[in-house]
Amino acid sequence: MKHIDRRAVLRGLFGGAAVSIGLPPLEAMMNASGTAWADGGNFPQRFVLWTWGNGIVPGQWVPAEVGEGDAWKLSPELEPLAALKRKVAVVTGTEVRAINSIPHYSGLGPFLSGFVQIGEEGAHTSGGPTIDQVIAEEIGKDTTFQSIETGAYYSDGLAFRGPNQPLPPERDPAVLFRSLFGEAFRAPGEDTRIDPRLALRQSVLDSVVGRIESLQGRLGSSDKARLDAHLTGIREIERRIAKLAEGPPDYESCARPASPLSREQLAEDPFEVHAVMARLVAMAFACDQTRVASHCFIRPVGNYQFPGTTEGHHQLTHNEPGDQPMVHANTVKQIEALATFCTALDEVAEGSETLLDHTIVLGTSDVSLGKTHAIDEWPTVIVGSGSGTIRTDVHYRSTTKENALKVPLTVIRAMGIARPSFGKDDGYTEDSLGALEKV
Amino acid sequence: MPRHHLRRARWSQVAVGLLAVACATPEVEPSDKDSDTVDDTPVVDPGPAPVPEGVAPVLRRLSQTQYEHAIRDLVGDGVYVPAQIEVSQRIDGLDALGDATVALSPRGVSRFSDTAYSVAAEAMGPERRDGLVTCTPSAAVDAGCARTFLADFARRAWRRTLTADELDVLVDLSTSSAAVLEAELADGTPATEAFYEGLEYGVSAVLQAPDFLLRVELGEGGSYTGFEMASRLSFLLWDTIPDDLLLDAAEAGELDTPEGLDAQVERMIADPRAHDGLRAWVTDVLWLAHVSELQKDPSVFIQVSDDFFPSSVEETLRFVDHLVFGADADFRDLLTSRTTFLDRTLARVYDVRAPSREGFGLAELDPEGPRAGLLGQASILALYAHPTSTSATLRGKFVRQTLLCQTIRPPPSNVDTSIPEPTPDAPTLRDRLDSHLENPACSSCHLDMDPIGLGMEEFDGIGGFRETEAGADIDVTGDLDGAPFDGLAELGTTIRAHDDFVPCMVDQVTRYALGREIDAADADAVHWLEQRFAASGYRMKSLWVDLVTSPLYRRVAEVVP
Repeated sequence: MKHIDRRAVLRGLFGGAAVSIGLPPLEAMMNASGTAWADGGNFPQRFVLWTWGNGIVPGQWVPAEVGEGDAWKLSPELEPLAALKRKVAVVTGTEVRAINSIPHYSGLGPFLSGFVQIGEEGAHTSGGPTIDQVIAEEIGKDTTFQSIETGAYYSDGLAFRGPNQPLPPERDPAVLFRSLFGEAFRAPGEDTRIDPRLALRQSVLDSVVGRIESLQGRLGSSDKARLDAHLTGIREIERRIAKLAEGPPDYESCARPASPLSREQLAEDPFEVHAVMARLVAMAFACDQTRVASHCFIRPVGNYQFPGTTEGHHQLTHNEPGDQPMVHANTVKQIEALATFCTALDEVAEGSETLLDHTIVLGTSDVSLGKTHAIDEWPTVIVGSGSGTIRTDVHYRSTTKENALKVPLTVIRAMGIARPSFGKDDGYTEDSLGALEKV
Repeated sequence: MPRHHLRRARWSQVAVGLLAVACATPEVEPSDKDSDTVDDTPVVDPGPAPVPEGVAPVLRRLSQTQYEHAIRDLVGDGVYVPAQIEVSQRIDGLDALGDATVALSPRGVSRFSDTAYSVAAEAMGPERRDGLVTCTPSAAVDAGCARTFLADFARRAWRRTLTADELDVLVDLSTSSAAVLEAELADGTPATEAFYEGLEYGVSAVLQAPDFLLRVELGEGGSYTGFEMASRLSFLLWDTIPDDLLLDAAEAGELDTPEGLDAQVERMIADPRAHDGLRAWVTDVLWLAHVSELQKDPSVFIQVSDDFFPSSVEETLRFVDHLVFGADADFRDLLTSRTTFLDRTLARVYDVRAPSREGFGLAELDPEGPRAGLLGQASILALYAHPTSTSATLRGKFVRQTLLCQTIRPPPSNVDTSIPEPTPDAPTLRDRLDSHLENPACSSCHLDMDPIGLGMEEFDGIGGFRETEAGADIDVTGDLDGAPFDGLAELGTTIRAHDDFVPCMVDQVTRYALGREIDAADADAVHWLEQRFAASGYRMKSLWVDLVTSPLYRRVAEVVP
């Protein structure tokens, strides 16, 4: 798979290489005039997968007008993103093409991974890596963490590195803080002395790798794959040790955040937990601890009872009569949380832009209309242009029920990955969405 | 209506997830053992256990509680272990199957690594190290003393005697670390401090190794080895690592003889740690870990407090523990027993007299009252309900799937599954579900679940008793596959007598113990266990003993490369 290294491309630019590189001149100028990464390179692209639970009320979700800029307005369920509208792209009218036999997972599985969903509700696995991991495999290899998974409410998570390789989300901000900004982190300007214990820890890992390798030869293929995944985890610890030995980073917006309250101290309130998580992830991006994150806000089938409603959310999607005002209100609240996440990224300056401008946040849910577990009119919202690789302030509505998997493929390509296709069988596509692409 | 479409495809690969069949057109699944009737007629001993060929082994990772108990046994009480180091994935109703299937995430590997260091630091701290390291180090680098300690520590952690090469690696790690750390010591600190800190690296390596975190039980020549059997016994029966007696018995070959094996199993079942083993099984099968995740609206359920959730779990654990160990009763009484354990929090919810002391006390419920057995407990009634209401569907599904091991298909797509709002004409859940069931796409499956759950409707979403809903009397009559019942207590009696209940309990023990689905090759062996269970008068202890001493627990096929 060919990987277009945008940083290399731009370094080439700075070096004066007179080559046409397919970037609009304006963007190149902007980069030359102040959005340079502190190490002299370009600000990296980041990716966030942000999922909410139990879908939308389509009549309140789909914006009335299509087009760009002032031509379209946000719908009631997208209204929480008003302050960020210029950075928002909405795609409606697409469908996930899969046999819809596993409520809440039949649509989400193919949308996230391209593979048909395997397993049952709550006991599912993925046929392959989910989009966050497809991207992390390409852009996450050099960062301290290949990716970060967080959640605000009970969930086994939606991110998979491969079949039977789930990446369960961290739900406690205090624990997330310790792993991101604990003893394995030094902020710019902090002590650069290298503790000899680091080398000892490396020797311990060598012995663990030795044990894993000695076992590998005795195992069947599925257990081998499990231990390979275990080794990936070990390599990530090794990378962390190596980073520490390199000395603290020097990124202009990177600073050690204050230690947050724990999930318990936040009364397990998903909104409070999420807001803290968002700021931690933003700082992890700013410090280049990682470039890929996923957040599972309310899980598929999540039955969280939102304040002011009479039943759990999942239950309401099925039982609330009429136009489902409470389901609508719950969806608005979840999109408010998405706005909170994006705003946390937008509040971090990077050069003349913000972290959000260098990020693609892909928001989606597990169904469209929860009441019928529908997987047509698939909800997708993108925030942030990924350093100008995605067109924003646009509502594209497919009038031909296009394949919803064009959206993840478009995003993967915008992240600089030359992927030929996405999806299987009826869901297979080689096409990105031209309306979003910015070439 | 024939119920065979509900039966779990036992002894065969359950191909979940790829079912394209909607509920409206239930597919007949291969029905294996419809003649599995278990009744109260005396059962003769089925003779010697069949010897299955065995199934290829898989690695199982330690559960959270197994890890916690192992650290306790290795280092001592009170060592800090973070909660939920890596959440288990629940597969087909058991975390035990998830632990045998999925890989650790990088974050999980990292957290187990961090925990290994914090545990090692506590172990080698001044308060604990003298109890663990029996030799006295002569200097910062004392390979002999390090070897003495690590040989014993790693043997217990890895559940086998290490080879000389394996031990060398750990000793070298510790001594070379000690040498580096000696140079870092503050002036005046005894050099032996570096010895202990060096050992932390050896201990940490032991605790991060796959040999500790995973159960490496791969067999040899068609059977698990003695050491592997020691592990299998202790993780199942004690939810922790083997003790020295068990390891010594394994090393001496005692577990390879029926007499030696019986003697160890008898000792283990009588040991207090056996309560942990039973608790772990009950917690997994009944999904009790999920109770702490429940959300209940305090404006609807005024009795809900923070204590409610852990108390409700504790009641169920004590209830089953009493049934199995305290009373050694017929396990089918799970569904009918009126003897339970309550604290003040639960006594308030149940509206019965609170125990006279703080904490849990034995309580005898009214023998004629509506509340009886497992189904009448707050944990189950709260788990299978919504934040503000009950759920006849979830409760019925629990009975079908967990207690009868039957399969319920997921709802079809693009069907409006809503239940009407309460109205003056339809105040109760039954009224509302009745109209819901007019849709044949819904009714084909919901008729399998809802009538069972409606029998439990006198108990609200946290297990409080009520006689009316929205002012109307609640009708709790129904039938379970043709057997009529009136209310939750009778429903329990009906399930107790259901043909699928006892085989299901045997399945639930066996799947958990083996960490895999029951294979076609196991059919005779599992049937033998059912017969033995019946012959014992349904004593759970006896089922566990029969299982772990039978060839089913010992035989293993070659690894498939």
